[in-house]
Amino acid sequence: MFETLALNAPSWSDLRHFVPETVLVVTFLLALMADLFARGRRPAGPFALALGGCLVALAAAVSSLPAGPRSILGDLVVVDGLAGFFRVLFPLIGAITILFSWASGEIMGPRREHKGEFYALVALMAFGMCVMASAADLIMLYLSVELVSLTSYVMAGYMRTSLRSTEASLKYVIFGSVSSGVMLYGLSLLFGLTGETTFVEIRAALLAGRADNFALLVAMVFVLAGLGYKIAAVPFHFWCPDVYEGAPTPVTALFSVGPKAAGFALMIRFFYTTLLSPGGGQAAAGAAAPDGVIVGPADWPLLIAILSVVTMTYGNLVALRQTNVKRLLAYSSIAHVGYLLMGFLMLTAAGLEAILFYLLVYAIMNLGAFLFVIALNNRLGGEEISDYAGLSTRAPWVALMMMVFLLSLTGLPPTAGFIGKMYLFAEVINRHWFWLAVVGALNSVVSLFYYMKIAKAMYFTPGERAPLRLEPLHTAVLILLAAPTLALGVYWTPFKNFVDRAVAGFAGLGG
Amino acid sequence: MSGDLAFYGFAALTVLSAFYVVFSRNIVHAGFSLLFTLFGVAGLYAMLAADFLAATQVIVYIGGVLVLILFTVMMTRIPRRGAGGRGLDRFVPAGVFALLLFALLYKVITGTPWAEKAPVSADPTTARLGASFLTDFVFPFEFVSLILLAAMIGAAILIRDRRPAADDGAGGAAAPTGEEERS
Repeated sequence: MFETLALNAPSWSDLRHFVPETVLVVTFLLALMADLFARGRRPAGPFALALGGCLVALAAAVSSLPAGPRSILGDLVVVDGLAGFFRVLFPLIGAITILFSWASGEIMGPRREHKGEFYALVALMAFGMCVMASAADLIMLYLSVELVSLTSYVMAGYMRTSLRSTEASLKYVIFGSVSSGVMLYGLSLLFGLTGETTFVEIRAALLAGRADNFALLVAMVFVLAGLGYKIAAVPFHFWCPDVYEGAPTPVTALFSVGPKAAGFALMIRFFYTTLLSPGGGQAAAGAAAPDGVIVGPADWPLLIAILSVVTMTYGNLVALRQTNVKRLLAYSSIAHVGYLLMGFLMLTAAGLEAILFYLLVYAIMNLGAFLFVIALNNRLGGEEISDYAGLSTRAPWVALMMMVFLLSLTGLPPTAGFIGKMYLFAEVINRHWFWLAVVGALNSVVSLFYYMKIAKAMYFTPGERAPLRLEPLHTAVLILLAAPTLALGVYWTPFKNFVDRAVAGFAGLGG
Repeated sequence: MSGDLAFYGFAALTVLSAFYVVFSRNIVHAGFSLLFTLFGVAGLYAMLAADFLAATQVIVYIGGVLVLILFTVMMTRIPRRGAGGRGLDRFVPAGVFALLLFALLYKVITGTPWAEKAPVSADPTTARLGASFLTDFVFPFEFVSLILLAAMIGAAILIRDRRPAADDGAGGAAAPTGEEERS
């Protein structure tokens, strides 16, 4: 490896294409330093810096669009449409998390310490997720996954005086290190098979027929185990409910969308780049999707389809039995991974567009549902479904907004979730995976039952009647999330175009 | 030939001591046995002409991590002998799974034409490693420093108690650790 070493240092000009990520790292460091000077109960400096940094990164990411395919930093990182999409999404998720952590008792309560570091870590995690979405080399793949995992472990155990939080962190660490060990083994097999570490070079080596098929299958399954853990797909989900329940709710909200989306980004880039030979459908360009041809004989779509069905069915069936809303949402997030995997196995541009659109919608509605839990936890001190009894009379608007999120999570019109599911299912049917579409539809029906359990408690179960006032900041962010959930259900063309451009600029499919 | 002998020696050292780590019921013995496992791996690195990696393995893992593990064992009240029985109900499925995994990996390792590199000369690698850390791989190199920083902050958050105990308010007499919130 070192014999061919060419001494070409990445030039500073590479950083021009890496602005959002650079901003996030600088934000992290500044927020850490600001924490040294923070006084009082609430660390306003780190909070403002982290929030401002995420927003600047967001602005930088938006202004860098369309991100043309460009390999930077020694070909270890690629900035293309896919990376461009995700580096808009992650600072946004980070900013929302930071916003609603500020008024959350679980993070800012009087018994908490290290409040400033918390905001710094959110910025660092956003950076790690951005790199996950643009990693083009096995080294960056592994390192970015580790950075996101490490920050996650810390945040899960943030309430260090709470037994549940500590347990969540410990479980996360143990499952995380095992699965990253398995993934690392898979990566080493892959390197042994191909002698390359860059995704594109790995594909070239595989196309040249330099790899044994059985060994390739084993290597890829191992890698899938590591990434499946990040997105919490069955059977790599065991940590998920306990971690989601034990972690502080703002952190759970972040976990349920951030690392999941980053895991999908990495899965798409890794598997599509290494296993799909380009040009399969490029000849029939135009309206036809640029389908790839899978390298090797393994029936990957079928394998992923089984994974998808098991994931969504398990998530939904177990969610039915939950009474704790955080646990319920944890299982529901597992089910949503199942839906998203349906789009993943289509191997088409339309499938990818559906995934990205759904991830965007899912981020908004799931953050909204979790914010509702946070806001009420601050007032009621609990998150059982029964705690929400009579909420429609106590706080009618808040209950209504939660209703919007629940309808959207189920996938009913006129909400964004409906449009997201529509695109996913349309592509599944277009590609003649009818049985998969039927299973997905049945699953959506099942999910209606448990989402409506929350609705029933809010609207039909009598409870206290005293009006409930939430933190103003929480109400404001709830509105900020509920509005797009409704609006995207009615008018979604700009967002669809945004997603389509991202997929069109994806180096893995476009060639 | 002497190379082969050294390889089998290091390999045997690694595997046998790893078995002892797993099967020993005394955690101190297991910790000490880990020393030989890590040393064997360092030997294998050295045989692959990765001299810097081998030295790092010895310094970091044996000198640092292992000593920490042993200190932790000594300073916490973990029962020296493994607590509870290791029942057959857990041993059998785990053993079967491990054997199946081994069979799978064995088939992969022996049945695969690996992309082998020609044997490299055993020149010192340190200079070339240093050069590539600051050129081709400068980004991962800096990235790792962020990971380490995150780990340090994490350790501080999870372990360090910044607040004086008297600050605990009314429940000052209660044990500060292990309290369950909102229960």
